[in-house]
Amino acid sequence: MARVVVDPVTRIEGHLRIELIVDEKSGKVVDAVSCGTMWRGIELILKGRDPRDAWAFAQRICGVCTSIHALASVRAVEDALEIKIPKNANYIRNIMYGSLQVHDHVVHFYHLHALDWVSPVEALKADPVQTAVLQNQLLEKYGAIADLMPDPIGRRAYPKKFPKATPGYFRAFQEKIKKVVESGQLGIFAAHWWDHPDYKLLPPEVHLMAVAHYLNMLDVQRELFIPQVVFGGKNPHPHYIVGGMMCSISLNDMNAPINAERLAVVEDAIYTQAEAVNLFYLVDLLAIGHIYVQKGQTYGGGLAKKRVMGYGEFPDEPYSGIKNGDYHKQVLYHSNGVVEDFAEGIEKAKYYPLMGKDFADPGVIQEYVAHSWYKYPDESKGLHPWDGITEPNYTGPKEGTKTHWKYLDEKGKYSWIKSPRWKGKPCEVGPLARYIVVYTGVKQGHIKPSWMDEMIVRQIDTVSKVLELPPHVWLPTTVGRTAARGLEAQVGVAANLYFMKKLYDNIKAGDTSVANTERWEPSTWPKEAKGIGITEAPRGALGHWVIIKDGKIANYQCVVPTTWNGGARDPMGGQGAFEECMKDTPLKVVNKPLEVLRGIHSFDPCLACSTHLYDTEGKEILEIRVQGSQPLCY
Amino acid sequence: METFWETFKRHGVNRRDFLKFATTITGIMGLSPSMIPEVVRALETKPRVPVIWIHGLECTCCSESFIRSATPLASDVVLTMISLEYDDTLSAAAGEDLEKHRKEIIKKYWGNYILAVEGNPPLGEDGMYCIVNGEPFLKHLKESAEGAKAVIAWGSCASWGCVQAAKPNPTTAVPIDKVIKDKPIIKVPGCPPIAEVMTGVIMHLVLFDSIPPLDSQGRPKQFYGNRIHDTCYRRAFFNAGQFVERFDDEGAKKGWCLYKVGCRGPTTYNSCGNIRWYNGLSYPIQAGHGCIGCSEDNFWDNGPFYQRLTTIPVPSVEANADKVGVAVAAAAAAGAVAHGVISKLRSKPNKKGGE
Repeated sequence: MARVVVDPVTRIEGHLRIELIVDEKSGKVVDAVSCGTMWRGIELILKGRDPRDAWAFAQRICGVCTSIHALASVRAVEDALEIKIPKNANYIRNIMYGSLQVHDHVVHFYHLHALDWVSPVEALKADPVQTAVLQNQLLEKYGAIADLMPDPIGRRAYPKKFPKATPGYFRAFQEKIKKVVESGQLGIFAAHWWDHPDYKLLPPEVHLMAVAHYLNMLDVQRELFIPQVVFGGKNPHPHYIVGGMMCSISLNDMNAPINAERLAVVEDAIYTQAEAVNLFYLVDLLAIGHIYVQKGQTYGGGLAKKRVMGYGEFPDEPYSGIKNGDYHKQVLYHSNGVVEDFAEGIEKAKYYPLMGKDFADPGVIQEYVAHSWYKYPDESKGLHPWDGITEPNYTGPKEGTKTHWKYLDEKGKYSWIKSPRWKGKPCEVGPLARYIVVYTGVKQGHIKPSWMDEMIVRQIDTVSKVLELPPHVWLPTTVGRTAARGLEAQVGVAANLYFMKKLYDNIKAGDTSVANTERWEPSTWPKEAKGIGITEAPRGALGHWVIIKDGKIANYQCVVPTTWNGGARDPMGGQGAFEECMKDTPLKVVNKPLEVLRGIHSFDPCLACSTHLYDTEGKEILEIRVQGSQPLCY
Repeated sequence: METFWETFKRHGVNRRDFLKFATTITGIMGLSPSMIPEVVRALETKPRVPVIWIHGLECTCCSESFIRSATPLASDVVLTMISLEYDDTLSAAAGEDLEKHRKEIIKKYWGNYILAVEGNPPLGEDGMYCIVNGEPFLKHLKESAEGAKAVIAWGSCASWGCVQAAKPNPTTAVPIDKVIKDKPIIKVPGCPPIAEVMTGVIMHLVLFDSIPPLDSQGRPKQFYGNRIHDTCYRRAFFNAGQFVERFDDEGAKKGWCLYKVGCRGPTTYNSCGNIRWYNGLSYPIQAGHGCIGCSEDNFWDNGPFYQRLTTIPVPSVEANADKVGVAVAAAAAAGAVAHGVISKLRSKPNKKGGE
């Protein structure tokens, strides 16, 4: 048995440590511990504040999935105060949300995840002429995926951003990479395991194409967020208000935050999103994913095979509340549910709906701290977020000192992340989870599918045909998790076009209202109120639970996606999705666990996390610090 | 290390395009055209500067903002202007290999690399509220700062403390200048800072091999020299006494002044009013929301955000033009005085920070 430590894991939001217990002979990961290494106490900071300010504080939980915590927060406060927002505000918030989905997924794929699949070193071996030929072939082979996206506006004359399939284009990127390597100043490409055998799975031309698009999309990604800058004033961290949006609409005044010119800027950006997703992201994703699946890489599903969960998104029209169930009557993305045993086939999978009242039920969603650095009066039990307590209790590692760890104490407390559970059980969340819930719900007839659900089912069936594998085989895998994210980006674009059309139609009908300020003043609020704000963050199901007393926040608890996926084990022994994924991932080179990194990255972790893998038998095991690769990367 | 001009030549960039680039950069940095020859000289002679970019308690909004820069594009900054040798967000490598690389870079470029810090160190629990490689981020920070030529404090976390340092500051998070005392620190506050402000600061450091001129609080004057209120396109409505009284009212549709719904523009120093976000596309006030003062020290505890500032005299609509003019002058003076006082107070050690 070998113990492998990787700390810090990069290309995530924050810090991550992983330690693996690996059987050196088989490369099998015997066990894994995931552990967060960062705590800021934002929930404590929120206590006593004005609930109308909460969105700004909560938004600072994350600047990568910026805006999502603001959205969950305004929803929670509106749910508590029973505020229904105007139609335009609902459409605008949905476009801001859809833009986040697109941007976040594109940046994750190219800038946080791509280098797990492709290598700039391999790209140097490619023939630029052949790469141009390949690009054309791939557009022919996979380009039809773009047809799955409905466009109710239909105003783009032709794509303005199109993958260039010329030798000169690819040569320029290859030259760039060559010079960087030759200069000895490798910068962001330094010190990685470029000699790992998995980098030989793809032909050099695929590497060059993907690396070129990595750089190309670094330049384009900023444009994908333009809708948030127009409606929210800036990005990262755009502005919202409780009761709707502040970006008033007037067709009489150029000084108005929103007028015809501003809407044109947004519409243009949405079409840029469509081009980035349909012509670059999805084609690259299918090209790379297809080869990996053909080479037998259908592992890494872990918890996704057993249990996934989502909350539902894209309210078609304004709703009167979340805990009263109205939100879920309006959502177009019916990911609100739990599905068990999807890997056993669509017929055997078990589907459980998740509706408004479930979020208020003290027995449905609970957080445990038995293995986290927090204190509860009784740690054998979980607490519902409304009753949630956040009291830090750092106990140090198993071996090493308080400030210099060797090994963490997986049998005791070992993480700054709590352990949320659905009816006491761990669930995976994220795009893959949402896709499994929608697919199962539709195929088993539990939900009346919206156009969005139908689009998702079509996407899954299309990819299944390409891969020549049924969804229950390819979806709950590392490749499937990455693929679901790309497909969801396309849904995000489709939603933006759909809600843009609704916004136009509503303004045309004479409604320019964006904010409901009837309950703006605290004097209009009840003495005590409780609210729930749920959404589907790019990384998975997100909920904020707020209690307002005498006009101030009395308690605020956030249960975030990476808490579900990356949290510590529970007192019943259940492990979160990161740990289960790592245990489902064999290694080729024990001290260069690229496959595990790829698996962890496939969740798009969004917390400073520490992950630690250990020997369940507690045997003395060999420690391996992951060591440098070749002198090329000093 | 090679110079920019050498890099450009290697890429087949001709002399004319190189000069064009130098001219653009001069403009972006807010320098007068007379400075172009100096910029050209700098580009010809300066090598690419290694940068180590570390993350403490933060949300990564600064990194996200940085990659939104349009002029220059982040790809040009990262691949041709600096050599980003360590970055939690973009580095391909991970684990011990990357840590080893960081240590090698520190040794190899001792006294010549730039340390960029996003986020801040918590002092509570011996620093173990933020852990890198099994050790406190605080240690990581001090170790990385030791050989640095200069330190950039990205965003309000590194500059002031920001959200995790808001009351009751559960982790005792402190700005980096509370723990790094012997290095020049450039504070680039904002939550996050504007993308082009971030790349502008890097351009200055790299091209002139000098710290940009700083104000008394350590911020580059060129980007933090003006109050948003003074550069705001809605200022005329403030002067005329035309205000948004309630969100989405008639005034809001006309783009009137947001002062009465809590705008912090009168007490906030930043470039939102002049260069705006996304190369001039918008800024919070343009989208109809008051400034929340995110580049100012302790802005989280200066709320609630929607409560109007009470220290700024407001011109009344009934007043005639002369009176309005006097009132505005008085308001500006009051604002400046208030800011001076606040600055002095804040330059004292931060009690709340637990020191």
